[in-house]
Amino acid sequence: MYLLEHDAKELLRAFDIPSPPGRLLGSDDTIDRGTLPPGPWVVKGQIAAGGRGKAGLIRKAESAADVASHASEILGRSAKGQQVAAVRVEQQVSGAREAYVGFLLDAAGGGVRVIVSASGGIDIEHIPHENIHSALARPDESALRNCLNQLAQKLPPEIAPAVRDAGEKLARAFLGLEAMLLEINPLFVLADGRWIAGDAKLVTDDNALARRKELESVVRTRASAYTDVARKHEHGFDYVVVDPAGEIGLLTTGAGLSMMLIDEMRAAGLKPYNFLDIRTGGLRGETKRLTQVLQWIGEGKNVKVLLVNIFAGITDLGEFSRLLVTALGSANRLKVPVVARLVGTNLAAAREVLAPASIPLHTDLDAALAEVRKHLKT
Amino acid sequence: MINPRIDRTTPVIVQGITGRAGQMHSRLMMRYGTRIVGGVSPGAKVNEVNGAPVFATCAEAVEKAGAKASVLLVGAFDLLKAMEDAIDAGIRYLVTPTEGMPVHDALKAWKRCRDTGTVWVGASTPGVAIAGEAKLGFLPDDSLLPGPLGLMSKSGTLSYESGYRLAQAGIGTSVWIGVGGDPVKGTRYADLVPFYAADEKTRGLLVIGEIGGSEEEEFAQALVQHKFQKPVFALIAGRSAPEGVTMGHAGALVHGSHGTYTAKRAALEAAGVTVFGTLNEMVEGIRVRLR
Repeated sequence: MYLLEHDAKELLRAFDIPSPPGRLLGSDDTIDRGTLPPGPWVVKGQIAAGGRGKAGLIRKAESAADVASHASEILGRSAKGQQVAAVRVEQQVSGAREAYVGFLLDAAGGGVRVIVSASGGIDIEHIPHENIHSALARPDESALRNCLNQLAQKLPPEIAPAVRDAGEKLARAFLGLEAMLLEINPLFVLADGRWIAGDAKLVTDDNALARRKELESVVRTRASAYTDVARKHEHGFDYVVVDPAGEIGLLTTGAGLSMMLIDEMRAAGLKPYNFLDIRTGGLRGETKRLTQVLQWIGEGKNVKVLLVNIFAGITDLGEFSRLLVTALGSANRLKVPVVARLVGTNLAAAREVLAPASIPLHTDLDAALAEVRKHLKT
Repeated sequence: MINPRIDRTTPVIVQGITGRAGQMHSRLMMRYGTRIVGGVSPGAKVNEVNGAPVFATCAEAVEKAGAKASVLLVGAFDLLKAMEDAIDAGIRYLVTPTEGMPVHDALKAWKRCRDTGTVWVGASTPGVAIAGEAKLGFLPDDSLLPGPLGLMSKSGTLSYESGYRLAQAGIGTSVWIGVGGDPVKGTRYADLVPFYAADEKTRGLLVIGEIGGSEEEEFAQALVQHKFQKPVFALIAGRSAPEGVTMGHAGALVHGSHGTYTAKRAALEAAGVTVFGTLNEMVEGIRVRLR
């Protein structure tokens, strides 16, 4: 889960990692001077992606009126496929040096890559190579601390102690939150040697969510900011709206096959509405999950047809079809024609169930797509 | 060199055999021909599942049934401990279909496997199969036809569909390894390049990849490094996925320009790999090249 900067900073506070005082504001909040931290400010649009500065989502404000006008301009804007639902209004930090500290799970190396630089404040990709120092460490606290001490020696003496101290606390946070990426850029190093996190990029492991109460609580209390994660955590499968204006609802299983199907449909000029990995193995003879998903797909205003694509290595297609027909009957929000493409175990039984329900059944995907197209023309 | 070859004589156990998945898949694996010599379930109240004896520990399974390989069908938070039990007992071939292993656990497991020379395929692997011999995991029989194509895949379903369509076109597989969709895993595409280069039954190699991470890029590098001579084909899912959104697989997450479809395709093509845009093109392309 890619945490919004505001949530990342709040989580890091528990690990003694300070950030400038800031407030999260949504479009319903009124901005009045009394509730803001001391100025001047920086208004930062909250989306789960990098490059926010370039996208115009980060702006400096000298007065409360500036804050209000910047916030209203940034809120509701779309960047990187996400809509800005909140801004963090934060006190500006001035006169500080800007360093970089990052921890990145290195999947190929089987450890944690520790990265430091004295040239923070710009995208890591744009920092000159000779100014970046990095090494691979085992994922435990002492190995990470040793690694940081080694790397900090390569930095200018006026910032090395701050990077070392910040790095040690960040390492603890990286392990404690089971992070995959933790990057502080810029790390402000003040003239007196104190340091403060200017930005925070934190990506945690969704697989560990159930055993990390503090992260679970972020997802629960701020579900609207983490809809996909919250949904998966609650329901145990993946569903993502890939195109709110999409015309084809997808009832599919398997992450790879579902992704590929969306790719092929888009390349062919079709507009899929959602990604779904329903996990037929997890249905356990019940229609609850199917009905739920069909209701969600029913929220798509332009959805004109539902394509069911299941490759059943293990799942019994007869049983699946019975569940599908029942679920379609109770999903009152989705009233569109259905086209099924099924391959695998017990196809004959599926045919017997789907025919009376007037659901055309194909085994060839291209034939199913041709049938789907017919429903788009009307 | 990692050697993932097994055959119908390899003695295999299933850890978690008394669970729902353990019962079903031990039966399906036996039916395919895999030599399941037992199962492990620490608190089990039954003595056997599908005719296979149930042991309390891996050490017992090794001592009494001669287990050499294990398929682990246990919960995600229990997987690390179960793997350690197997490794401590001397089992050196682990296949872990369990989905949702925390990545920090996977790092610890990775280290243990490297230190002990254990072959680990997973986590979240659909399985391993030597068509016509044995399968460890979930791979559907309809997709398994013996033949000359090495196959590696992150995704289960996309590989089932691909294997099925290839089999329909008469193209079978030699050694099929589902490396799994997790970012930290026991066996990566690049790890298997030396094996496929040396394997006499493999005449071509298909990699089914997806966006996110850097495995496809590492694989391309390994091909060049090992001067891989056989034809290599690839299919990459997730071309149209939005940035920062996880599409089912934890590893399939794009950040900025890192892990994108374009970057992967370019790296693979530069290494001489034929990258297909659709399943139909893939089947046709491989058929023509391997004929």
